[in-house]
Amino acid sequence: MRRSSRGMIITASVLVICFCALLMMMFDYHGAREEAGAAYIERGTIDTGAANLVSAIYLNYRLFDTLFEILVFSVAVLGVRFYLAQQRGNEEEVARIPESQVIRTSADLLFPPILLLGIYLVLFGHLSPGGGFSGGTVAGTGLLLCAVALGADVVARRFHEAALERLEWGVLLVILLFALSPIALWRLPLTDLFPRGRLGSLASGGSILIYNALIGLKVFIGTWVVVYSFIRHRGEI
Amino acid sequence: MIIVLLPLGHFLLAALCLAWQSGTRVLTLLSLLVDASLVGLLFSAFSQGETLAIVLGGWGRDVGIELADDRFSLVFCILALLLGGSVVAYLWKERLRPYFYMLLHLLLGSVFALLFARDLFNIYVIMELLTLVSFLLVGYERKPYQIWAGLKYLLLASLGMGMYLFGVAIIYYHTGTLNLSILTTQLIGQQNASWLLIASSLLVSGIAIKAGIFIFSLWLPAAHASATPAVSALLSGMVIKMGVVVLLRLAPVFPLSLPLEVLSAVTGLLGIIYAIYTYDLKRMLAFHTLSQIGYLILGIGIGSELEIAGSLEYAVGHGLFKGLLFLAAGAAVQATGKEDIPGLIAKRSQIPVATRVGLLIGTMGIMGLPPLAGFCGKTLLSNGTDSPVIQAILVLLSIGTVISFAKLLPLFRLERGPSSPWPKTVAYVILGLPMVLFLPLTRLFLPIEQWRESFGTIPFLESLLMVGVGLLLYRFLPKRLANLPQRIFRLEEAILVILSGFFLIYLLSVLG
Amino acid sequence: MNFINGVTIAIVLFGIGLLGLILRRDLVIKLLSLGLVNGSVILCLVSLNARPDGVPPIVRGPGGAPYVDPLPQALVLSAIVINFAILALALVFVMLLVERYHTTDSQRIEHEIEEEEGP
Repeated sequence: MRRSSRGMIITASVLVICFCALLMMMFDYHGAREEAGAAYIERGTIDTGAANLVSAIYLNYRLFDTLFEILVFSVAVLGVRFYLAQQRGNEEEVARIPESQVIRTSADLLFPPILLLGIYLVLFGHLSPGGGFSGGTVAGTGLLLCAVALGADVVARRFHEAALERLEWGVLLVILLFALSPIALWRLPLTDLFPRGRLGSLASGGSILIYNALIGLKVFIGTWVVVYSFIRHRGEI
Repeated sequence: MIIVLLPLGHFLLAALCLAWQSGTRVLTLLSLLVDASLVGLLFSAFSQGETLAIVLGGWGRDVGIELADDRFSLVFCILALLLGGSVVAYLWKERLRPYFYMLLHLLLGSVFALLFARDLFNIYVIMELLTLVSFLLVGYERKPYQIWAGLKYLLLASLGMGMYLFGVAIIYYHTGTLNLSILTTQLIGQQNASWLLIASSLLVSGIAIKAGIFIFSLWLPAAHASATPAVSALLSGMVIKMGVVVLLRLAPVFPLSLPLEVLSAVTGLLGIIYAIYTYDLKRMLAFHTLSQIGYLILGIGIGSELEIAGSLEYAVGHGLFKGLLFLAAGAAVQATGKEDIPGLIAKRSQIPVATRVGLLIGTMGIMGLPPLAGFCGKTLLSNGTDSPVIQAILVLLSIGTVISFAKLLPLFRLERGPSSPWPKTVAYVILGLPMVLFLPLTRLFLPIEQWRESFGTIPFLESLLMVGVGLLLYRFLPKRLANLPQRIFRLEEAILVILSGFFLIYLLSVLG
Repeated sequence: MNFINGVTIAIVLFGIGLLGLILRRDLVIKLLSLGLVNGSVILCLVSLNARPDGVPPIVRGPGGAPYVDPLPQALVLSAIVINFAILALALVFVMLLVERYHTTDSQRIEHEIEEEEGP
């Protein structure tokens, strides 16, 4: 029973090809639209103070969406940890990476720049492409590199599970409280009350920098937790 | 401001649940009470005529995200609170990890956020959060069939949201905005544009997978039947309605009336046929949910004032009695250890009295016996339209509902039974009382002449007649039909059916 | 207008992903196909208003070349994170199932579950 039945293949192909053909014909796509995104381009820097308009949108105009995105990420991390928590894999079935001097040395050389790159992406997210999500992922994968080189347990001993868990929900709490904080001044939540600063400098963009830093920290911890849960469940890398 | 506080407050509590592990139940209860008072405030503001519409961040509508309330949001808020309260009561004595309550808070928060959302991409993100949270709740006990049901749900829902996002891309390309209010004005002259038809078909197909429409939501019987009873109650009563609410928001903007009407007939009839011939209690309830969504979509598709009011009432009523049925069914299954209806009937003396009463009230409601909740909604729906085809479909659905629930009747013979633990009884009361008092409660929503006219003697007699006909037909109907196709509930076939459903919607929007 | 542009390629990839989701039995390949489907939607969103003379929407001063529309890019950020979350959780569930049934074949797993559940 290795292949699907012939009827299924034919029906599926017909349906999918018709679907794609219909989409292509009816989309009515003729290149880029003029004046696309004009509202954001005209007023983005004046309203938010950030040079990177994409950051301005997802951390200021449409911050509510980003909030849900953060929650989705947190739920994913918690879900992965919950389901893989109690199960230890079979140690015998797993192939181990032999101890290698090449990996060890290159990890030594690469890890500091990777971490630095991650921090740079997070802090300068409002001035150049980057932001909390990409910076956090870069730093988290740097940690994965360490785990490959030194062994996952060594790294895990440095980052205690309980402390990570507390830090994670702590950061989420701080993000939510920060989002709700304008209530203290009787403004709507999710409003940006910080000064805009000089365009192009590090201290600009209002609260975008703060959000980027918090999100970067959260994604960093989250990526490490997900990756480590998988590694631990499997037994070894 | 309150409409932002409701979701954000629940998210805050979700984060706190992980911290303060011992007090989660009390915290949840307190939060529900606080929510009730906030919703009460909103309600009083609304009935004095002010609708709130805010754009988060203080920007204009064309660049920011808009949140607004209207009568549907408020009524569903009340439903959400009732269901939340009853689930918390039901699970009071069970030892659940704080992780569960965190998921519950996230669920409630995203439900509140979706009710006030007026922006296409915001709806996407909230629906994805809802999908993930319900997926995790379905697989909570980690039994293999739950995990498989949850996985099927996740794959199909993801695919659906992918289609939805494609539709959003098309709409954004041609109109340059994602805000529903702006779209309403912009699309007035362009209702026949080719891109609009395909975009709306994509949007509806994507949402229909989550909204419980039969050809799309083929994951539903497996997922709702295998989840724990409290989770099934929440999913059937609340999460499915969120898909319907999104369709409600989309219906005035896009050319959707014919597709929705046809889909409602299809889902209603197919759901009923499967429900009549299923003898597993929870699975039958799940098929029922699929069919009752037909009522809701019909009202939305027709779109007139009275019809939408009827859909709204039926949605609330359905949330109440389906929730009640799932909770009571779960308790019954737990008490007897049997999941199929003949087995339950045989062991009915082991089922607690309160559970049986709950099942009885739920059954009476779903059959449309006056003056309970089901009767109100169904009457409004049939009064709001003159088309004989639609009236015929409604009558068929009602009779079919009665037939499928008639097999539960032997369960209700008066007998002594063990008494129920108090948390469960409280849960049944929280859901059952509004159901029974539904008729007077609808006075709040309808002007008085319509109320008197819709609920006069003739509708009373009509529904009693339909119940009688249904019970009679049940005696003469064959008890086991030749195999209904069960293969469509497998993953691959389900996707093929979804694609065909998409073509159906597209054809209907072109014709309509 | 170029016929080969981001949007048409995205539609083709969507179709390929759909076919993979339907026709391949292996659960891990189904997950990859789902990733492909979601990725194609992201591609479509990003290339909606792409133009050959466009410049990334990073404002360095007044004036400047035509900036590309920043909104779809912001939407795509959220979509990518959401896809990551879905794939991670789906992978966890697939792992749990594979360990229980010792096969990645979705039809066999479904069959065995139906046998356990059925009568």
